[in-house]
Amino acid sequence: MRFVAPAVLVVVLGLALLVPLLGDYYIHVFALVFTNVILAASLRPSLTCGQLNIGHSAFMCLGAYTSALLAKHYAVPFELSLLSGALLATVVGLAVGYPALRLRGVYFAMVTVAFVEVIRLIAAIWVPLTRGNSGLSGIPKPNLLGMTLATKASQYYLVVFLAAVTLLVLWKLERSRLGLTWRSIGMADHLAQSLGVNIATHKLLAFMVGCFFAGVAGAFYAHFIRFLFPPEFGFLVATNILVYNFVGGRGHFVGPIVGAVFLSLLSEPFRGSAYETIFFSIAMLLTILFLPGGIITLPGKLSGLRWGRAASAPTPSPAG
Amino acid sequence: MPLLETRNLTKRFDGLAAVQSVDLTVEQGEIVGLIGPNGAGKTTCFNLLSGFLRPTAGTIRFDGEDITGLRSHRIVGRGLVRTFQLTTLFQEMTVLENVLVGLHLHSRRGLRPALLSRRPFPRDELDRAREVLEFGGLSAHVEQPAKNLPHGHQRILGIAMALAARPRLLLLDEPVTGMNLDESGRVMALVKTIRDRGTTILLVEHNMKAVMGTCERVVVLNFGQKLAEGTPAEVSTNPKVIEAYLGAELEHARG
Repeated sequence: MRFVAPAVLVVVLGLALLVPLLGDYYIHVFALVFTNVILAASLRPSLTCGQLNIGHSAFMCLGAYTSALLAKHYAVPFELSLLSGALLATVVGLAVGYPALRLRGVYFAMVTVAFVEVIRLIAAIWVPLTRGNSGLSGIPKPNLLGMTLATKASQYYLVVFLAAVTLLVLWKLERSRLGLTWRSIGMADHLAQSLGVNIATHKLLAFMVGCFFAGVAGAFYAHFIRFLFPPEFGFLVATNILVYNFVGGRGHFVGPIVGAVFLSLLSEPFRGSAYETIFFSIAMLLTILFLPGGIITLPGKLSGLRWGRAASAPTPSPAG
Repeated sequence: MPLLETRNLTKRFDGLAAVQSVDLTVEQGEIVGLIGPNGAGKTTCFNLLSGFLRPTAGTIRFDGEDITGLRSHRIVGRGLVRTFQLTTLFQEMTVLENVLVGLHLHSRRGLRPALLSRRPFPRDELDRAREVLEFGGLSAHVEQPAKNLPHGHQRILGIAMALAARPRLLLLDEPVTGMNLDESGRVMALVKTIRDRGTTILLVEHNMKAVMGTCERVVVLNFGQKLAEGTPAEVSTNPKVIEAYLGAELEHARG
């Protein structure tokens, strides 16, 4: 069981390297899939602590604009602009999280929703900096180690690499003591507290780790799409990231990854249209109704069904 | 100098005094019982001592230092650790993981070891956790999910987790309530062993047989106030205590 998750990841990443053979359209789609994987996986630490965070796209937005503006106006190389975007997202995460994480449950969720809208509005209103709702264009292609990644395929490999590093770091954190502490807070925070866990700082740390990688995803997105438009970082995007986690399954590290890949690919025909929201709502409802543990519990359920049928025959029913 | 000393400890909820002017002392190495009818303020007392509630008035001194109003995780750091009523565990974790959380303050933690060390947990932490589980007689269940343990074992696991935090004073909230005679006997023997190994114990318990057989000193609360204090024999023959319990029972009988 311990090796299942790393094995799955290695296989998925291996297959991912072959995507460019399919052509430009698929490269584009899969680059966005991997961006969503980073976003979904980086929300998990916060969720593990029991924090319903519906504000993740705000930090993606911060990373995206920071990196784009640094590269566009100051010709900062991608590795530095990405890091700046991620760090700015983390610092803002600290500033927002410090007071907000004292709130519980739905109150915390409401603050994160409000924050998404605040960031989106700032991006829309601060026209001299962001060009507002006309959108920020002319963002350079990623310039890495002095080379410009000109082709879509090379940019795609870049995001696969970023996703791999993100997942490796998050996986290390999840199975370390830090991950155990986060789980303990999510399961019974008063008990964790009674054993000496400072729940405030641990929640904050989980939140900031998420903000950092949301910033990374945003930075890549900015240099890949090369056009930033504030509504693309609104509340709906934040809920989608949450839906990846719930539909994929919250019980295991691979849950959000499965959810992000599955839903991003399936929703691809509706991307940008009103049907996208409907699609995500239906996916969420179906999950709640039929697979509360998410897609990752599906194999277990299927084999459980088979076992159930085999076992139910010789067992006398209690009513009889 | 007593290990724990409260002066005038008071907690009011909207004017209702759940705990009122309680002076409580626990000496190093004692097993002290805190008893009283339902609603007497025992659990509120525990919540105050462990920092889960802030007292309205009064002071709490632990090992000579004022710990009044400290946040609970800081109090644990000083060596004052509590358990909860019933089975409060991390149900979905394994038994071993539960105890590993208990080791939190005595572990390598933070981002750096999480990212840089090859093993999730250093060997000495795992050894220490297994040692605690062995002490509690739970060695056979190390890898099981906590929720699958039988009730009695779950309660012992709760104590084992607290022990992992290396308490100097252990507050046990109803450690044997709901157990059969055999189970409660085993837990109370465990409590004595814990004390003999150097941990002072303050316990709340409804099971009078367990209290009388284990505690060296008993403090009786009634309506938030200290009603009596003494050896189990003294307390159980104290007319005020008898009246408090009988009164509560009479009222209970009247409905």
